[in-house]
Amino acid sequence: MTFFVRRAGFFLATLWAAVTLNFLIPRLEPGDPAEALLARLSSRTEAVDPAQLAAVRKLLGTPDGNLLQQYWEYLGALAQGHFGVSYTYYPYSVTDVISEAMPWTLVLVGVTQVISFAVGTVLGAWAAYRRNSRTDSLITLGSTFIGTLPFFWIGLLLIFVFAITLNWFPEGGGYGGGSQPGWTWLFFSDAFQHSVLPAVSLLITGPIGWILGMRNNMVQNLGEDYARLARAKGLSRRRIALTYGARIAVLPNVTGFAIALGSILGGTVLVESIFNYPGMGRLLLEAVSNKDFPLMQTLFLFTTVGVLLANFLADVAYGFLDPRVRRKEAA
Amino acid sequence: MPLLQVEDLQVTYSPRDSAAVRAVDHVSFTVGEGEFVGLLGESGCGKSTLGHAVLRLLEKPAAITGGRITFDGRDVTRLDEDELRPMRWADLSTVFQSSMNSLNPVITVREQFADAIAAHPEATGGKVDVDERAGELLEMVSLDRGVLRRYPHELSGGMKQRVALALALVLRPRFVLLDEPTTGLDVVVQRDILDRLRELQRRLGFAVLFISHDLGTVMEMADRVMVMYAGEIVESRPAADMVVRQLHPYSAGLLGSYADPRDADVEVAYTPGRPPDLSRRHDGCLFQPRCPVAVDACRTRHPSLVPVERGEARCLLLEGPAEQAAHGGRQGAEAAPGTASAPVPPPVRNVAVFSTTADSRGREGGEPVMTVEGVGKTYRTKRGLGFTSTRAVRNVSFTLRPGRVSALVGESGSGKSTIARLLTGVERPSRGSVRFKGTRVDRLRRSALRRYRRHVQLVFQDPFSALNPTRTLAYALGRPLRNHLGMDGRQARARAAELLETVGLSPAEQYLDKLPSQLSGGQRQRVVIARALAPEPEVLIADEPISMLDVSIRAEILELLDTLVRDRGIAMLYITHDLLSARLLADEVMVLNQGSMVEHGPTLEVIGDAKDPYTRRLLAAIPRPGTSRVPAMAGSPAEAATGGTGGAEQRPPGI
Repeated sequence: MTFFVRRAGFFLATLWAAVTLNFLIPRLEPGDPAEALLARLSSRTEAVDPAQLAAVRKLLGTPDGNLLQQYWEYLGALAQGHFGVSYTYYPYSVTDVISEAMPWTLVLVGVTQVISFAVGTVLGAWAAYRRNSRTDSLITLGSTFIGTLPFFWIGLLLIFVFAITLNWFPEGGGYGGGSQPGWTWLFFSDAFQHSVLPAVSLLITGPIGWILGMRNNMVQNLGEDYARLARAKGLSRRRIALTYGARIAVLPNVTGFAIALGSILGGTVLVESIFNYPGMGRLLLEAVSNKDFPLMQTLFLFTTVGVLLANFLADVAYGFLDPRVRRKEAA
Repeated sequence: MPLLQVEDLQVTYSPRDSAAVRAVDHVSFTVGEGEFVGLLGESGCGKSTLGHAVLRLLEKPAAITGGRITFDGRDVTRLDEDELRPMRWADLSTVFQSSMNSLNPVITVREQFADAIAAHPEATGGKVDVDERAGELLEMVSLDRGVLRRYPHELSGGMKQRVALALALVLRPRFVLLDEPTTGLDVVVQRDILDRLRELQRRLGFAVLFISHDLGTVMEMADRVMVMYAGEIVESRPAADMVVRQLHPYSAGLLGSYADPRDADVEVAYTPGRPPDLSRRHDGCLFQPRCPVAVDACRTRHPSLVPVERGEARCLLLEGPAEQAAHGGRQGAEAAPGTASAPVPPPVRNVAVFSTTADSRGREGGEPVMTVEGVGKTYRTKRGLGFTSTRAVRNVSFTLRPGRVSALVGESGSGKSTIARLLTGVERPSRGSVRFKGTRVDRLRRSALRRYRRHVQLVFQDPFSALNPTRTLAYALGRPLRNHLGMDGRQARARAAELLETVGLSPAEQYLDKLPSQLSGGQRQRVVIARALAPEPEVLIADEPISMLDVSIRAEILELLDTLVRDRGIAMLYITHDLLSARLLADEVMVLNQGSMVEHGPTLEVIGDAKDPYTRRLLAAIPRPGTSRVPAMAGSPAEAATGGTGGAEQRPPGI
């Protein structure tokens, strides 16, 4: 039990540090966003009018008071879910913008990640089980080859073949002009149609890391003394492969998987921009290119929290899966 | 009919990118029902490969390339995995080397018993109470039944090894292969496991093939001993016979490397050189290049295993002169059964011996260079919110004097290595002081500490990891010369060559540009010693310098260390768990138990007349070949008084 309490404590401490850094870093950067904005707006090089500056500050909601007061206000706002107003989508609040984009990413990337992990683990284990066979070479070499292809190229190829040439799927976007977001059959089938190509592109490259990681871990485990002893015990190949190979080999992958899940919140910038998909990744791209500080900061915060949370869950899962860790930490 | 019969077995490693190696070459032997057979050999002789072949566990690139293995009348050589599976564990089971890694780390001990039982319904009659059967076996190896619920990492090395032994017996097999089952365990634990094993074997009546490089253990445990060298069996005889007289010069050399440390005069032999490269063809006797009694014919004729007395041996000198003339090469032994009945034993002499007599040790030395006073070391480890402190060393005092060797004896975890770290200034004592000629070592910092380290050098345990594999010897030896003595490249190279000569690697030019991987273990250890000597230290700390080396060359390294200490007036701290080597090398012995020094005095006094119960346990744990063990208190003075004929003739060790 102490193990889990310790992990939770560690999680909370890191979360606090991340939140605080997220507050401090923009304030430690040189320059004033209001002045920067004015300088961009006016082509003239004259001195900035203080009144104008004050007005812009009001407009942006630049905080007053000393650092400590600001910090308290910041924590209070965070607790209530206020992240400020987006510059790009003014007057919508950051919360609105993000809650609009979040479901798209969660569904697309989340589902493909889970499938990638499952498929990758199974394929990797299979390759290790039949190591040095033709199946193994096919799986290993095939995934290494695909892994060398640039992701955007795969995406563009998919669009070219299936959207432009064959016209089976739309070229991009989250849903078509004909449907409006809502709990209707029309919208869901339309959204599904739009998600096929990005999902496929993610599924082509997604499992590769898991396949190779799983295969290598498992081949190594099957070469250990305990696997050899299992053979000497006359256990079935299946039992050896599962309990003495896969069961141990999957452990390091679990951590990797949790971190991958955590980073979903940050979205997948590349795939979302290639397919013009209305998720978090594209939002991040827009925020960065428009210097939309509140949006950027919130997205970064989300990513950090997501990764931390996922790490925490991975630790907890690891505690269940690997008795060695539980013991070491708790002792 | 023997239970296990191996006929003319050959195992070849055929790696893709290098020449094939005949690891096991025309090996034949039998193991009878309930027999305890020892297989003795040094690293790389093919003994483990042979074991794996018998269990049919060889993996690519190794494969059986000839011969036959018959178990209980059934040829198992060409059975496929599915046909073998029912026989595995139910008929032939095994305990692997020290079992540190032979239990599945993520399942409980109980599950590891359960899956073996579940895999063999035919052997157990279907219904077995796992807890009952496994619990009973665990009790037989003196473990608590509660161990069943534990995971392997929660057990100590000795406990794991007991679990592995119990696991091997779970299906009541008729044959158990033990591959170095106690290597790497502390001597006392080792002793206990071996006693338990012998007892179980007598009680349950299974046959054993016991593979080990540890001669004392094999000789003491086994009914019959086979000695393996370079993939061949060179001698196979009842242990009781072999211990009295060895027929093959290699066996003689191996047995000569063993002695009882309690004797007044102790002498050990060593066999210089290294085993041949088995990827090449050799016409003559494989041992000939290292053999002290080789004759010309040995270079060209490969001896056969001929029946001698109650066993067999492979040596041309054992074949009658007429025989030698009659047949050449490997064939022919079979044709000459009668001649060997009255063999002429080879006049085996040790080419090299390292001996120590009652009065050759106990040098006084000069003024102490190193003074350790009341030193204690406590490690604090964070545990949750609090700290746990471990007292690694408690109130230890001693001095090191020039030209004198002090042995620090103890098991793993006794604090030996902590003391070494305190002396080198890597760690600071929690209490007490460490002085080097009046300088407080425990107060030195940065550059003063760096300057100090020049005077105190280390020889490490594992010569395979102590040298950077990508750097030549000239570089390895040059570093300390440049760092500590400020030499330039050319000076350092010349000095490095001198150092290599000093440690017996000569001509040095041949070695300077070699990489560690081109050297044998013994040669590497010589380089490690040369490196330690490079900055002309006054104190040398040797941390188990011979424990990773083959038995036949250990004495060679001890002799080198002894010479260096004597000639150069170095003060040496010799850290070991092995009382024999301490007896050979050291002037005084300090016994460490759980961080405290329990005994301290002149070597012969401590070893010959141990007062502390812990020292006595250490002594009792030393295997004594040729004596059947009485589980009473060992170390009676009567035993220590015998022996000691000395001289050049080989004598039966430990009797």
